[in-house]
Amino acid sequence: MRNCVILLTFLLLVSVFVAPGRAEITAVKAGKILTISSEPVEDGVILIEDGKIAEIGTEIEIPEGAVVVDAAKSVVMPGLVDAGAAAPVRGDLNEQSSEITPTLRISDALDPQSKTLKRVVQTGVTTLFVSPGRRNVIGGLGVVVKPTGKIPRQMIVKDEAALTVVMDLDSTQGNRIPRFQVPADFYYRRPGTRMAIIWMLRKSFFDARRQSDSEQIEDPNLAVLSAVLKDEIPIHVNVRRAITIRAALKVADEYGLNLILQECTEGYKVAGQLAERKIPVVLGPFYYYPGSMGQYREGRKVNWNNAGILAEAGVKVALASGEQSGAIDILTAAVFAVRHGMDRDEALKAITITPAEILGVAGRVGSLEKGKDADIIILSGDPLNVTTRVEKVILNGKTVYKID
Amino acid sequence: MKSRFHITFISILLTVFFIGALAHAGPVRKKLAVKASRIITIAGKDIKNGVILIEDGIIKAVGTDVEIPWDAFVIEAKDRVVMPGFVLAHTSSGLDRANENMPEVPFISTFDSIDPISTFFEDSLRDGVVAMLVLPGNNTLLGGTGTIVKPYGRTVEAMLIKRYTGLKISLRPSQNTSRMGHMQRFRRYMSDLKDYLEEYEQKKADAEDEKKPFDEEIDVTKQPMVDLLNKRLTAFVYCDRAADVPKAIEIKNAYKLDTVLVLAPECYKAAGLIARSKLPVILDSQLVVWETNEQTNEEEMKVVPIIFHKAGVKFAFQTDTSQYGRRYLWYQAATAVKYGMKRQEALKSITLYPAQFIGVDDRLGSIEAGKEATVIFLTGDPLDAQSWVDQVMIAGEIVYERAKDERLKKLLAPPLIMQEPKDTD
Repeated sequence: MRNCVILLTFLLLVSVFVAPGRAEITAVKAGKILTISSEPVEDGVILIEDGKIAEIGTEIEIPEGAVVVDAAKSVVMPGLVDAGAAAPVRGDLNEQSSEITPTLRISDALDPQSKTLKRVVQTGVTTLFVSPGRRNVIGGLGVVVKPTGKIPRQMIVKDEAALTVVMDLDSTQGNRIPRFQVPADFYYRRPGTRMAIIWMLRKSFFDARRQSDSEQIEDPNLAVLSAVLKDEIPIHVNVRRAITIRAALKVADEYGLNLILQECTEGYKVAGQLAERKIPVVLGPFYYYPGSMGQYREGRKVNWNNAGILAEAGVKVALASGEQSGAIDILTAAVFAVRHGMDRDEALKAITITPAEILGVAGRVGSLEKGKDADIIILSGDPLNVTTRVEKVILNGKTVYKID
Repeated sequence: MKSRFHITFISILLTVFFIGALAHAGPVRKKLAVKASRIITIAGKDIKNGVILIEDGIIKAVGTDVEIPWDAFVIEAKDRVVMPGFVLAHTSSGLDRANENMPEVPFISTFDSIDPISTFFEDSLRDGVVAMLVLPGNNTLLGGTGTIVKPYGRTVEAMLIKRYTGLKISLRPSQNTSRMGHMQRFRRYMSDLKDYLEEYEQKKADAEDEKKPFDEEIDVTKQPMVDLLNKRLTAFVYCDRAADVPKAIEIKNAYKLDTVLVLAPECYKAAGLIARSKLPVILDSQLVVWETNEQTNEEEMKVVPIIFHKAGVKFAFQTDTSQYGRRYLWYQAATAVKYGMKRQEALKSITLYPAQFIGVDDRLGSIEAGKEATVIFLTGDPLDAQSWVDQVMIAGEIVYERAKDERLKKLLAPPLIMQEPKDTD
């Protein structure tokens, strides 16, 4: 009997502490919901429980005690996914001590207090992929993060999300070939030409392949590369010109790599080939005259409708803001992609579900579906209008930004 | 019988030929009537299903109940929005080089440097700009005089709207001088100029006293500065920092100059001061600034046009090509509207206000009777990113048609061969 009383009291106490937690339901009343995964919903409701979408549709009863977010006059869509963003890191992104650094992880350098995160949230981005810089041929491992959390671990959605490879001439930038003395050792010099970039890449994967069957790989660099060869880690290759894209395809053929192409300024020239091989592309940053950007005037044959042509050919296209801060946000990138000829729905997908799929996080983000993370943005109007403003950003069910 | 047949035949042929000749009687038609689904007049309210009547390139009447004369050529623009062409009040593009490398060169002119085949002008026309004031860059203290051109024509003379308008004064220290030295240089120049003019007047008075003819002209290298003092030229004063704004106002008051402020983004901090001075303002093309609080290290977003709009300052937008979007004046206006600027004000800031600032509002900037028929035909609302400039009319002449824009087609169309030959094994 006495035990019973104690147990009851205990249960009562527990329920008192647990109950407020259970009532944590947020209901978003929306004028229009662009779910991305299915048809838009007019006058719909999204129920959020424990940071996940519990219910979405039109005839949903809002439970008593739920926190109601009124967006009856607004457009609601999933938080945007930026597949190539400025990294929230203080200091340099480039490790210059070596040109092949596959073991470096950008996740070790993440700064949750970074100002770039606060900026990026205001543009409606709730998931972003960041990677080491572009000065190395093999730069290191990128990470998918959300712009929230007090410590890096809370930000990370997927670590070791992709290996970053740069095949553009960026990795030769600043390299000097010793002209007046005999170079001590050719192999310790950074690449100076496109030939050397491709040679270095090829050599790395050659070494990795020789060891990939052994039980224990001694060299950590080769361990990462052989994981890439076994398709355990995706590989992002930064290419701009068609000639570099073709070189990348060649190396990929030799080693059976499944590539994801980044930037891809001249992708429209090889759209058919990319579609045939089912290679996804992450476009961006966007410039009117990419030729005047950078030392090597790479990708100066620009076509404004690059995204549209690639999508039309059947390539999976994601729009990204690019590594440099200060580039246009991906919502604006989508606006201009549509202006220049991309299909409207394709453009919306290119900033939500497609990058999520490319990054391998589509199970959690990228569309508004039951069971996915409650990453929701509320817009003042049509997302593809310059005059539309991001009014509110809900990340993991919590409001992280709203305009005053 | 046969000859009569011949005469009839020849006369028919002649008539056909004559009518044909009329139909191709050159691009400028005497009387034009534009029927548009919407006319954004800027001067007043928008007109739905209106007519613009044009005679000799000048607008005669605008409205819904305008009677179209029988001899007017009618342009059907039923699914088009017609509005005044955009005006760019300040640019240093389209020049072979924007800055002279000496600090005091008021006597040079952009007229000598404008490159008509620069793609900047081609792009501008495509983007709906019909007039622009091309001024020297911001690196020189007294940078030289500006030229107002339309982005159409093969020579500078053909493009010309107004020569010798506006003089650039830059308050950003050039080369290795300090701000103190920069201002000192300006004051010394003005004091030297004052001495020179006093001496000149003295000589003139002496000659009159002695009843001698006086034919000495003012030094050509000083003439623009003299014209500035006589208000024949407007000073376009570039302020690089908020701290430069009070100096610009001081200069304006000290020498009684007609002044237009050309502001760097940071100058939003002096918005109150600028509002009180009632000076016209040309904003930088960067409209959003992130300001870091030095104590907390927190960033705050500042939207420059909104700050000026709330302070009651009249301003015009600028463009650049550093970023997607910014090169379009409509995009700049739409960005301001996004953050809360009134639509009508934003539209005025890319048409009427810049026209006023550069002194061409008697001809351009709005659709009103008496103004030049310089309008653009849009496929939709001007602030909608999915609208395109379909046609541009300058003084009654269609000078741009999107359907015939080969370069635009090249920028948007897929290449002929997308499937390159395979060179992999």
